[in-house]
Amino acid sequence: MNLVAKAFEWGPLWFGVGFIAPLVAQSLDASGVSAPLGLSGIQFGLAIGVVMGTVAKLRGSWI
Amino acid sequence: MSRASAAEAPGPSARERELLRREVEISRKYLGRVPWEMVAWGLGNFALWLSIWPLTFAGMLPLWAGFLLSTLCITLSYLPSHEAQHSIIASRGTKLRWLNELVGHVSTIPLVLPYRLAWITHRQHHAHTNDPDLDPDYGNKGDTWRQSVWNGLKARQPGADSAYKVALQRSDDPDADRARAEAIALNVGYYAALTALAWSGYAIEAALLWWLPRQLGLTYIQLFLSWAPHHPMEEHGRYRDTRAWRSPVGTIASLGMEYHLIHHLHPRIPLVDTGRAYREMRDVLLERGIRNDGL
Repeated sequence: MNLVAKAFEWGPLWFGVGFIAPLVAQSLDASGVSAPLGLSGIQFGLAIGVVMGTVAKLRGSWI
Repeated sequence: MSRASAAEAPGPSARERELLRREVEISRKYLGRVPWEMVAWGLGNFALWLSIWPLTFAGMLPLWAGFLLSTLCITLSYLPSHEAQHSIIASRGTKLRWLNELVGHVSTIPLVLPYRLAWITHRQHHAHTNDPDLDPDYGNKGDTWRQSVWNGLKARQPGADSAYKVALQRSDDPDADRARAEAIALNVGYYAALTALAWSGYAIEAALLWWLPRQLGLTYIQLFLSWAPHHPMEEHGRYRDTRAWRSPVGTIASLGMEYHLIHHLHPRIPLVDTGRAYREMRDVLLERGIRNDGL
């Protein structure tokens, strides 16, 4: 149970990597827009997801 | 209170006793039946929500339509479980109890709200309505509906102290540990499903069929089931903590919550009967000094 509680503490980061990253990549793909800086869609998505998730974890809020 | 002061405290007057007798007499007319419409609503709504997924994935339902339908289903998913929480479908020890528990558990899966947790915390809402420290729904308080929506969103943020988590920790319910385990399992399952869908190439579908509809549904439910009927969440007492009110969007769109007062007075009356019960009880309740905002 402690392990699960610890994992939940980092929930925003897991959400950033697990959900936001592929969502960004697939949204770019669906709209025909290419990722900046020569990154692939999923690389760009992972960068966005990790940054957003980390900020949300540190601030305790997505908004 | 000392024995002397208790003896001095005035009891209910003869008129108050008569009003209570009439109120209870009316309420009894609406008790005891199985609300089959709520059973059909709960199980049918869940089946409809499940069917959206294959229909969308197979291209038989456009994603935008799936999004709208899913938002509707998730918004409608709470109330059948709420009936089950109050054992309105079937009491403990009766033949249909399994159906009560089935509706309770299944209907709020799309909302990712575990039944046992919902019931334990909802009991605290009934016992401590509008209490800033003890009512787990108090976080939805707001001077305006926009402020309530904003407060509700803030309460859902990862760093916020979840009122339901706090209420569960405070609870001495023997099922509290089980409720906690079920809550963890349901949440892990939800995030695992979103992740699996997203990494399988269905991130947009997962976002528009579950994540966003759930956020919208939670907001709508908090607004109409919590904020509106208890606004301004400052009064206490049987006839004052919940109001009768005229909804600008009508009874159906406000999920029957214009009559939520009846639910707090007589929690075992089925949702669909609260309007009729209110109309029959209205004069009695007005004399008791209820808050009536235009109904």
